[in-house]
Amino acid sequence: MHKPSNKKRIAIFLLLGVAIYFLSGAVDELRVYQGASVAVFVVGIASIILLTGYSGQVSLGQGALLGVGGYAAALMRIHFNTPIWICFAVAILAAAVAGALLGLAAARLSGPYLAGTTLAFAVGLPSVANQFQLLGGEQGLLFDVGFPPLSFGEDFTQYKWFFWIASLATLIAIFWLQNVMRSRYGRSWKAVRGNDVAAELAGINLTRNKTLAFTLSAGLAGLSGALLAMTIGTVSPSAFPLALSFSLLTGAVLAGVTTLGGVMIGAVTLVAIPDIAGAVASRFGSSEAVTNNLPGLLVSALLILTVLFVPNGPVEQFRARREHRVNK
Amino acid sequence: MIQLLNTILIGVTSGAIYALMAMAIVLVWRSTRVINFAQAGLALASTYIGYEALQIVDNYWIALICAMFAGAAISAFIEITFMRILLKHTSSGPIASVAPIIATLGLLGIIKALITMIWGGQDAVIKPPLTNTGFSIGTHTLVFSPMKLAIIVSVALLVFVFSLIFQKTNIGLALRASAYAPEIARLAGVKVDLVRTLGWALSGASGAAAGLLLTSNGNGAFSPESAEFSLLFISGFIAAVVGGLDSLVGAVIGGIFLGLITAFVLMYISGSLFFIAPFVVLLLVLFIRPQGIIGVKAGRRA
Amino acid sequence: MTRMNRRALITASAVLAVAALTATTIPAQASEVGVSNSEIKLGMTLPMTGTASPGYNKIPGAMKAYFDYVNANGGVNGRKITIKVEDDRYVPTEAVAKTNKLILQDKVMALISPLGTANNKAVAASVNPARRGVPVLFVNTGFSGFADTKKYPTTYPILPSYVMEAKIMAEYIKDNFAGKTLGLVYQDDDFGTDALKGFTQAGVTFAAKVAYASGSQSAATAAGWVTKLSTAKCDVVVLFGVSSATAAGLGTAAALKYAPQWILGSVGGDATTIKASGVPAGVLYNAVGASFAPATTDAEDEYVKLFSDIYAKAVPGSAFDSYVLGAMNSAFVAAQALKAAGPDLTRKSLMAAIESKGASFASAALLPLNYSKTSHVGYSGYWFGKYSPTGDLKPVDGKYVLYTTDSGSGAVVKSTWKRPAMPAKGLPN
Repeated sequence: MHKPSNKKRIAIFLLLGVAIYFLSGAVDELRVYQGASVAVFVVGIASIILLTGYSGQVSLGQGALLGVGGYAAALMRIHFNTPIWICFAVAILAAAVAGALLGLAAARLSGPYLAGTTLAFAVGLPSVANQFQLLGGEQGLLFDVGFPPLSFGEDFTQYKWFFWIASLATLIAIFWLQNVMRSRYGRSWKAVRGNDVAAELAGINLTRNKTLAFTLSAGLAGLSGALLAMTIGTVSPSAFPLALSFSLLTGAVLAGVTTLGGVMIGAVTLVAIPDIAGAVASRFGSSEAVTNNLPGLLVSALLILTVLFVPNGPVEQFRARREHRVNK
Repeated sequence: MIQLLNTILIGVTSGAIYALMAMAIVLVWRSTRVINFAQAGLALASTYIGYEALQIVDNYWIALICAMFAGAAISAFIEITFMRILLKHTSSGPIASVAPIIATLGLLGIIKALITMIWGGQDAVIKPPLTNTGFSIGTHTLVFSPMKLAIIVSVALLVFVFSLIFQKTNIGLALRASAYAPEIARLAGVKVDLVRTLGWALSGASGAAAGLLLTSNGNGAFSPESAEFSLLFISGFIAAVVGGLDSLVGAVIGGIFLGLITAFVLMYISGSLFFIAPFVVLLLVLFIRPQGIIGVKAGRRA
Repeated sequence: MTRMNRRALITASAVLAVAALTATTIPAQASEVGVSNSEIKLGMTLPMTGTASPGYNKIPGAMKAYFDYVNANGGVNGRKITIKVEDDRYVPTEAVAKTNKLILQDKVMALISPLGTANNKAVAASVNPARRGVPVLFVNTGFSGFADTKKYPTTYPILPSYVMEAKIMAEYIKDNFAGKTLGLVYQDDDFGTDALKGFTQAGVTFAAKVAYASGSQSAATAAGWVTKLSTAKCDVVVLFGVSSATAAGLGTAAALKYAPQWILGSVGGDATTIKASGVPAGVLYNAVGASFAPATTDAEDEYVKLFSDIYAKAVPGSAFDSYVLGAMNSAFVAAQALKAAGPDLTRKSLMAAIESKGASFASAALLPLNYSKTSHVGYSGYWFGKYSPTGDLKPVDGKYVLYTTDSGSGAVVKSTWKRPAMPAKGLPN
């Protein structure tokens, strides 16, 4: 397999950055806002790809880790009024710590027990906010990243500012993640995922390996949560429901849970489906009930079809088919 | 004293309902080694069908039986059409362990969306057949009413019927054999496919009963978004794990246990911790005794 | 294909995908956003489904009924009024997402009656209609903070604030239940704390206070509330929650045979909704409730007659309750505001019309509107009534006695305002 050098990769990411810059100028505010949402999902899905695709551990609780990141960022902003980047850094750290703890617990579990524990985490953790006045209860806390700098001009909208911040954070995060996945850590995760008995015999410390995956994955999730908090402007238990964890899992499966390549596809699909479904439903003039539930139906159906027929994701399938053709 | 009695009664009643859901989860686990997340949606769908049956027949108990039949039928249908294909396609590969979870989650999403499309998001009401006004002891009123008594009796009856089925026939053993070693079971004459489907059907019936009785534990109102239904599945799952995930007896014990603990938290500690309590129980059990109260420690399977 | 090329392919397709989405954007408007020569588009977010939705989900149908009536009679300056309704399930973050959609995608001219204190606060912080110049008309919440014209310059409350309601309730309690032990059930967010502010202002102390987290109300958790209240031996209990919480409290208390004197807050006090949730009418009998509009069973009132008539034709089979009356009243006021803004309708002219002429708009309420250039306060008072044996709210002794106050430290006084006659056919003139 041909691996491009680091210099080539940096060039690609810079190119992406420039493309995003021009794109943000060309589209209207709604699309820019959706773009920020796509960025949130890209980071969130990437965290699942790391955890499930590379390290083979299933988590139904990624949403809760996003919540930890979101709340951490909001609290930093409210109580210390730190600049955005510090808020994000704290979010990543806080979520990573939570992930480490969860990972230590999860390393001993597998299958339904792991699923159950992470599920418990997903539903229980947001409710903790209701216990402490500091966390704002059900209503939540406001997360205000402030207005874009005046030097950008009058027309530079708040949502465009969100898009820029989110895109930059996402590009950096994905670049970093790629590095990690190519490192020996990435290889050791793949080894454990393939056959953990053999990996242990080869000298890999299972607990440390699995916990590390959880920690790094959680850090990414924390960043995603902070970005999500930025786009909604609030953190509250209802911003990080169980449905969020499921959406991320769905997006990861659609993207191809074992590789990073399809992560855009997964993220764009998650954001685009409610849009398209709404347009389709209103064109056929159906009832409220149908319109509101068609997106959920489509996403779930898509998920099932993907798991049944393209379990490794479209990107992996595409590559496998090509390799097969090459090998013939 | 009255408070203690009330708490125990609340705990046993809701625990009984959790036990039914836990049994549903254990039945599917025993027959296919899958946690069927869609069970939450199936219970809801069966409850709606029970609601429709009630409109036609106007007898709650007949509606309950209809709902159970519907639950069994839908569950079996899913097993035959969906799960068999799924397990065939994903028995290997990096996504193998995750695939059934994700697929049943997807199924849950579809079921919920369909339910809301057909019946709307509003509250439907199934009028409880008996009154919910508490019995009186002197000047105090208990949180226990004729309806709640009926719930406990119904659950006891169902558990009795299920255990009869498992004792008088070989189905318990056949289920386990079909899940662990299907080829060997086939060679031994077990109709593996039929047994699996039967396991799912029984699971569907149990879940349906849980759903319908759950509405009667309150004021009869329910909707796709009901907090109580979401809590039902999660509590059932936790109860199943607490009970050891592999035995029906464990499921019942786990259910009652969980019900009692959440009732104590509600009445003695704080109402808002009511939703976190089940999870704390789960975490504690997983750490202290992961094989559950009844379960046997699983050996390492290479 | 090398890995680098594959990544380029993916990047390119992502860019293409976004470009494709761009192509589906609606073309720019010529005049004011949401206003065309034939149509005025308004937007609304509220819980149509979910734990908090009982009762409130009739509001869009009621508003549409009144607007269709206006449209059938020539509309407003030749334009038809339409509403786009989005379900936010009473979740603040969903309200933000749906409001974004209404403003950015559906391009509505103004938001009308968005429901929920926490929801409106989240929308104000995140979507920021004030910065975009989008009017937020007649918010369906009594949170006193929304009357702050500096913080929410484009927001126009209509309901009396919860502080006002609590102060007036306190006055009623002092007059009728002096010396009794008091209990309170309230929602654990700004909606509830606003009411607490009013009660504290009025010097009321509660022996037991139960705060419930929004969304957690159910028969099970209500058992916990009732236990707390009955242990504190409360004779009088104020239920200041949404309708589903009120119904849960009343129903569970009845099952436990706990029967204090109930006082129901206006937000959750609609009898029809409570009865539909399974609470027997007998439980409501003699409970105290409040309203600022005529009783929905008042067959003599000209507004009630007209509105219930319109509603019965538009939504046959649906009961005419206080939420329906409130919604149609807000629609009526909105229609007058739109008309007063003139044929050259813009967001600015609409807001200017409310501020200059709002105080003289006709409405079904038994109190005047208080809009002016410096005040965005709508109604400012309530009358008290008791629920009849069939569970309908009727004024005490059959006479409406209105109390009015402010959201600050002003005293509670009786109002002597007389409602003027309804304009012809109940249409904006």
